[in-house]
Amino acid sequence: MSSWFFPEILLTLAGVGLVLMDALAPENIRRRIPLFALLASLGILVWSLVPASRVLPTSWLNLFVSDGLSAVFKPFFLLCLVVVTIMACRYRLGADETVRGEFLALPFFPTAGLCLLASARDFLAVFVALEMVSISLYLLAAFHRAKPASLEAGIKLLVMGGLSTGFLVMGIAWLYAGAGTTDFSRLLLTQAGQGANPAVLVAAGLILAGIGFKVAAVPFHAWAPDVYEGAPTPVTAFLAVASKAAGFILLIRVFGLGAFALESIGTYFRPILLTTGIATVTLGTLAALPQRDLKRLLAYSGIAHAGFMILALGTEGEGGIGTVVAYLWAYLLASLPVFLFINELEYLHGSTDMRHLDGLGRREPGPSLGFTLCLLSMAGLPPLAGFPVKLAVLANLWDAGETPALVVAVIMAVAGLGIYLTPIRVMYWEREADFIPARRFPPFLIWVMLVAGFLGVGLGLKPQWLARVAEKSLNPLPVVESIRE
Amino acid sequence: MNFSLSLPALLAIPMVGVLLIALGSRPKTTALWVSVLNLIPGFLASGMVLRSGEILFGPEPIPVREVFPAKFILGMDGLSLSLVWLTLIVTLTAIGTGREGIKREKEYYICLLLIGLGALGAFLSVDLFYFFSFHEVALIPTFLLVGMWGHGDRSGAAWRMTVYLMLGSMVLLVGMIGLFLALPEAARSLDWRVLSESLKANPLSPGIQHVVAALLLVGFGTLVSLVPFHSWAPGGYASAPAPAAMLHAGVLKKFGLYGLLRVALPMVPDGWKEISWLVGLLLAGNILYLGLASLQQRDFRWLLGFSSAMHMGTVFLGLISGTVLGLAGALTLMVGHGLSAALGFAVAGEISRRTGTSWMRDLGGLARRAPQLWFYLMIAAMASIGLPGLANFAGEIMIFFGSWTAHPVLVGVAAWGVVLSAVATLRAVNAMAFGPMSPAVEAEGVTDLKGMRETWPFAVLTIALLLIGVMPLLVYGPARPVLERLSQP
Repeated sequence: MSSWFFPEILLTLAGVGLVLMDALAPENIRRRIPLFALLASLGILVWSLVPASRVLPTSWLNLFVSDGLSAVFKPFFLLCLVVVTIMACRYRLGADETVRGEFLALPFFPTAGLCLLASARDFLAVFVALEMVSISLYLLAAFHRAKPASLEAGIKLLVMGGLSTGFLVMGIAWLYAGAGTTDFSRLLLTQAGQGANPAVLVAAGLILAGIGFKVAAVPFHAWAPDVYEGAPTPVTAFLAVASKAAGFILLIRVFGLGAFALESIGTYFRPILLTTGIATVTLGTLAALPQRDLKRLLAYSGIAHAGFMILALGTEGEGGIGTVVAYLWAYLLASLPVFLFINELEYLHGSTDMRHLDGLGRREPGPSLGFTLCLLSMAGLPPLAGFPVKLAVLANLWDAGETPALVVAVIMAVAGLGIYLTPIRVMYWEREADFIPARRFPPFLIWVMLVAGFLGVGLGLKPQWLARVAEKSLNPLPVVESIRE
Repeated sequence: MNFSLSLPALLAIPMVGVLLIALGSRPKTTALWVSVLNLIPGFLASGMVLRSGEILFGPEPIPVREVFPAKFILGMDGLSLSLVWLTLIVTLTAIGTGREGIKREKEYYICLLLIGLGALGAFLSVDLFYFFSFHEVALIPTFLLVGMWGHGDRSGAAWRMTVYLMLGSMVLLVGMIGLFLALPEAARSLDWRVLSESLKANPLSPGIQHVVAALLLVGFGTLVSLVPFHSWAPGGYASAPAPAAMLHAGVLKKFGLYGLLRVALPMVPDGWKEISWLVGLLLAGNILYLGLASLQQRDFRWLLGFSSAMHMGTVFLGLISGTVLGLAGALTLMVGHGLSAALGFAVAGEISRRTGTSWMRDLGGLARRAPQLWFYLMIAAMASIGLPGLANFAGEIMIFFGSWTAHPVLVGVAAWGVVLSAVATLRAVNAMAFGPMSPAVEAEGVTDLKGMRETWPFAVLTIALLLIGVMPLLVYGPARPVLERLSQP
């Protein structure tokens, strides 16, 4: 059983250990906390990639399941944690410098929650895991106590997160009232072959609203730009990538594979998902175009990406689910380096305004090239990783015969080019910035950005890798399977 | 020795050039050497194609079903042969006319090499996924080239061009998705050889053919500046720096036509025939509307932009002719137009660089001041009018003969287009070359092309134009088996 939860347990232990070390250890050890945090996160990531040596039970107490989806997403969250830790080491906390240990320790807890969430197979487990994520994130968003924007972000996230939890709990209650169970597979069994139960429909609607907040889907998106802008950049990265992915895992589990995908319920919710997707992708893209702050821009672009994924989920069948999984990976691999870059930009300039990019292509050719490639990958331009996944979204929509959604997706994919070309234009066309900081980017950034950029190119030229990840995620029993092979 | 390795070499050599420039070797010299060096695999591959008709590089087809069936296969046959050579020659000359010591030289030559690389990759790809991807590789370098080194309203032109091209690409992508998904599960492939074969044996139903053909027409048509999706082209070319305009008008635009020859004609033949009335209407718009518009231009670069977009109408006429002769003409005109447009933009670039203007009325007396420049200007103008002996004439005449039985009215329109083009071009040449010397031309420092170092790109393009004009067989000869397969009912 212990090997079952090893990333979660290790993450929690590491988090607690870091907090204790920060509180109790002598000064010369405390100074090394960033190093320990980095090593811990890296170590857990590497360990999670080593295949399990013995056959594990596929389900634990009917609360958690070990299947393809969880196997694909646990490394996803752990990779995210590694990058967030690097960013947190490099983030300027100003007056709060003394609590950097906590700032580094806190992300371990939501990551543990996310790993739990990836394998949850019961709404109760989902709820516990989500709370574990949210509460740590409220703290983290407001971490920069001296900065009003950060406090504002924390409050907004708290209120909106509370609202979202409210919807979710209400939905779970209705579900229990209507179906008598909160277990995903039992739910599927009881609901299959039945007409839609009104209580279950209400429950599905409430749960969808709850998840809508998490993935920042229209009309529950309004918190995202302000929170993204105000929160410390590492936290923004965590919110934008890991937290969003968590929402999509839930959507996949209940609306893609689970009970709400059943014909009786799906007929009501597929049009809703498609409409939400159309609204989300349109609003995200159009609102991102005029943004001048990079974090705000990425917030809206994240909304647009969520829209594309919701559109893929709105189509019937496994193709849409695989597409979302591949899309999330492509999104992770492009947006984490982008956030890393922005974090360094903020380190040098103190803000994330786009004017700091003026003429950067000349001053810092390496990181600028990597940044450009990652942005183009987000724009979905070949030959980058973002292209095959966007192609898959369009193909799913065509296959499902959803012409209006297809037309909107195409138009927004074209308009979206404008979002990502604007920073590129600023970097390469504009004259040198008025204020050039004396310090340059650290050398590690050059390599990280270049590797990330060319990884994007590699995945764009060899999309089979992403496709294989998507295929693996749909496998119900990867653990047993891999033993047999 | 395995000559099929020359295909990846064609792509690897420019890539190495890009890397070397990025690492700090001298930009123009490196780019030039790389382009010359790339002729060697070009020769090897063409030799193989001429001997055996086809050359392939890539993994053997495995029967395992992949979720994502894209395979990196490169191939070259008679049809791609001439377009690959067009790309090689235009890339070489475009880099040859590029300036040394221009601001941010490194990025400039990297962008130029990337455009050439994208075009080569698209013409060499057998797999539709890579065919599309490689074309898009050229999109961002074009955006940067126009935006950073362009003239006039460069920012607007760059955005307009990029958004239009992206929109066209997306529509085309949707068309290809539709084509792919309309196939039965077992026959799904992205290899155009396999697709053409299987669709010949089991054609798609007329309804889906119609939709796919229309999407492909709009998508590829936007990339080729077919009316009414043309408005990015004249302004974009007018604003682009000369080498970028050469590459884009000369080579990249041919991607759309090549795509129609590769995808639309063989895979949805009935759909293509169904919508040929629409193509006819739009191409008449290209010839007449853009022809009339080109009469009104006062700026030489804009004139070239309009006339380059206008001539695409004639190529489209060849594509709907349905005869081998018409298709051969279309191919010849594609190559001829690529060369003549490249020559035209190169001359325009030189003129405006030397005199500081491209307004035609400010350029009087150029013939006396710069006779060599004037000579190449005349060659470009005559080629674009369709003077016998130059490549464009060969293409046009084949198109006219080839489509006479099917579309006599359109042949009349196209012939009228030749007149319009002649009027516009001759007026321009007259205004620019003769008459009293204008202050801009008389100004000190305005010089002619000097020596082989400056002349060779122009000479190469001129020789190629003459060669194809005299022996159009060079272009359509190797492609004949492919074109014959295309025109069979």
